[in-house]
Amino acid sequence: MNRSEELLKRLPNDIGGQLGAPIRRVEHEYLPWEKRCHALADVLDMRKLVNTEEKRRGVEALGAEMIGALTYYERWIAAFANILFQKGVLTPGELAFKMEEVAERHGKDTNI
Amino acid sequence: MEIAMRELLIEKHFISAGEIRRHLEVLDSRTPQLGARLVAKAWVDPEFKARLLRDGRGACEEVGISFYENTQLTVLENTEKVHNLIVCTLCSCYPREVLGLPPDWYKLTPYRSRAVREPRGVLAEFGTIIPDDVEIRVSDSTAMIRYLVLPRRPEGTEEMTEEQLAALVTRDAMIGVVPVEREKGGAQ
Repeated sequence: MNRSEELLKRLPNDIGGQLGAPIRRVEHEYLPWEKRCHALADVLDMRKLVNTEEKRRGVEALGAEMIGALTYYERWIAAFANILFQKGVLTPGELAFKMEEVAERHGKDTNI
Repeated sequence: MEIAMRELLIEKHFISAGEIRRHLEVLDSRTPQLGARLVAKAWVDPEFKARLLRDGRGACEEVGISFYENTQLTVLENTEKVHNLIVCTLCSCYPREVLGLPPDWYKLTPYRSRAVREPRGVLAEFGTIIPDDVEIRVSDSTAMIRYLVLPRRPEGTEEMTEEQLAALVTRDAMIGVVPVEREKGGAQ
């Protein structure tokens, strides 16, 4: 099977059964923004704005580079932004404007 | 971005601040102690165990553990012949309602890719050696169906109360990567 065929047959997140590195038994105390992000996901699901399958598809759609570079909840927030833009719930302009406002209020860059 | 997105969605009335607060409270209320109570109850009450294995979600609701719409819970019993392990190879599906939020290692690539390929090797990395005559079953979770391992009750615990038993049951034992020890101690 050539490289193109390999890529087509396996989407980036379909990793079950592949060779892998030793397991590093890492965990961390969830940060407040991560918990808020998780709560946001649950509310968006409850409100039928973004369900679990849509969220997962949105994360996969970020592509291998972003998936590798962003942390777990950063990927969720980025996926939500894209999905909500596509659905016309928010516009990129209003989110950018709001992010600037939040940054000014906090006196530093926001978490992402 | 999280702060900005949340505030915008609230301002535009797509969601409310109250909903976010309530869901944060729900998140904080879900810990491995919930799963541990189910396990201890199953160990002391064979009829409850039968109900738990037949209908995981129903048995949870029986003891006051509510579930999100549509998700099912399948409880997998470890025996002398079968050892169960759970994973989500595609993302990070996990029995949150009874264990809370998952540890990082569960969500990272090595565990997700290798658990279905070489579970004995994975278990050995957690210090768990399963004899060759014991079958290992790995269950791959989905958004609709979550799994919980019912680990084996350790020897020498016959005199313990349900509460004492629950205190021995760790999150990692309910994922299936370690057994329950008679003395609680060491890593979660």
